[in-house]
Amino acid sequence: MASQLPTKVAILGAGRGGTALLDLFHQIRTIEIVGITDQNPTAPGLQRARELNVPVYERAADLIGNHGVTLMLDVTGDPSMERMLHEQAPAGTDILSGSASRLLWELVQHESALQAELLHAEKLAGIGSFAAGIAHDMNNPLQLILGLAENLAEERDLDAVHLQARDIIEAVKRTTAICRDLTSYSRRASSLQDSMIAINTKLDEALKIARYAAGLQDIEIRKSYQPDAAVKGNPDELLHVLVNLITNAVQAMEHTGTLTLETATIDGAPQIRVSDTGAGIAPELLGRIFEPFFTTKPPGKGTGLGLYNIKNVIYRMHGTIGVESQVGRGSTFTITFPRETVPGDRSTRP
Amino acid sequence: MSEFTSGFFVGGESSNGRVLIVDDEPDIRKVVRMTLQKAGYHVLEAENGAKAIETINTGENRLLLDVIVCDIRMPKVNGIEAIAYFRQNYPRVPLIVLTGFPDTDMATSLLRQGVVDYLVKPVEGETLKAAVARAMEQRELAHL
Repeated sequence: MASQLPTKVAILGAGRGGTALLDLFHQIRTIEIVGITDQNPTAPGLQRARELNVPVYERAADLIGNHGVTLMLDVTGDPSMERMLHEQAPAGTDILSGSASRLLWELVQHESALQAELLHAEKLAGIGSFAAGIAHDMNNPLQLILGLAENLAEERDLDAVHLQARDIIEAVKRTTAICRDLTSYSRRASSLQDSMIAINTKLDEALKIARYAAGLQDIEIRKSYQPDAAVKGNPDELLHVLVNLITNAVQAMEHTGTLTLETATIDGAPQIRVSDTGAGIAPELLGRIFEPFFTTKPPGKGTGLGLYNIKNVIYRMHGTIGVESQVGRGSTFTITFPRETVPGDRSTRP
Repeated sequence: MSEFTSGFFVGGESSNGRVLIVDDEPDIRKVVRMTLQKAGYHVLEAENGAKAIETINTGENRLLLDVIVCDIRMPKVNGIEAIAYFRQNYPRVPLIVLTGFPDTDMATSLLRQGVVDYLVKPVEGETLKAAVARAMEQRELAHL
């Protein structure tokens, strides 16, 4: 609903609750965060607010007196703050505090747990489409192992025995590498702190996994990487995003075409671009592709959650994702991360 | 004809028949060759459907190729496309599919198109040899 006026929210308290609300509201277009404040200048939400370009107020009174605010959200849990709000907030400003704001915080936590579940469920559903690729990549080395072992049973030349035994060992290693890739991909995204992710390496890792889901035999792959490109975030979630984007791109091309993977820094903001020369997306559908359960695939072939989850992961990383597409020529998905995560400052170097 | 020889390798002399193995994995071609050569077959190799089509259209292969063992998932011309070509142009040559992916729908559809066997890797040497021997019995000799 584009015509709806945004709710202008002030967040009082930048601890865990305030930070979670900040992250959630930041993703909702109909909510504008006017500012955030906390008595403690090192509260985690204040740092996050600066990353998101949300104004940080040193004094709570300045934010409370702001006439542009339509809703004051008090998550400090401090009774004196509640009193101050009721005394000083401009008339007509709604106030949410005490148990009401606690309830809101609980709902936010619930929502974030649901999103994590949804991401995992969609990832596992997607792994079903890997079956053909896994079978192909496992059964080929198994055929070699079986054939060589049968031959070894009759082989009399000791040198040939040694060579074939070595071939068997190599084939076993290839098979176990497949299992390792897939088990590390299918695990639940770690809830560890965000870390710096080398995005070129992640793209290569994603390409390796996407091979199982989509036949890449006749796809020409072009890479244009900016050396040392890095962003801050959850590496497991970013890998999932990239696998999905690459799989989508390859599926859009049916059999043949060019897949282009690019990393760059535009005006200090790291970017990842995934382009295909496939079918493209009709203009009337472009606006809907990030909606949950939207899919053009036949029933059973797609969950309609892929791009929705991608968008959520990217928003959590404080980035944006956009798409350009031309029917019959292909699509380009561009992820842009905030400037703050550009590597180069000393803290990101080992 | 030297430009055509890169896609296949002519095996040792033998009299049991001439088999073309089509697979993008050199390892697979190697073990299949090993197994079939021991059984006295003359083995040719092609690394994809396009090379396989080139091979069968080259010189005496047009007339003397007896059986094709073909993978499905390959670059350039894949197995499905290559099989359609062989059925259309060389209906006398029996086809055996040797694939890493067990897919009953695909197997049914290929068997309907006249493929004589659908083998899923890993397949034992005895099974492969038996399938090739059965296919040899079904082949029709080329009319000169």
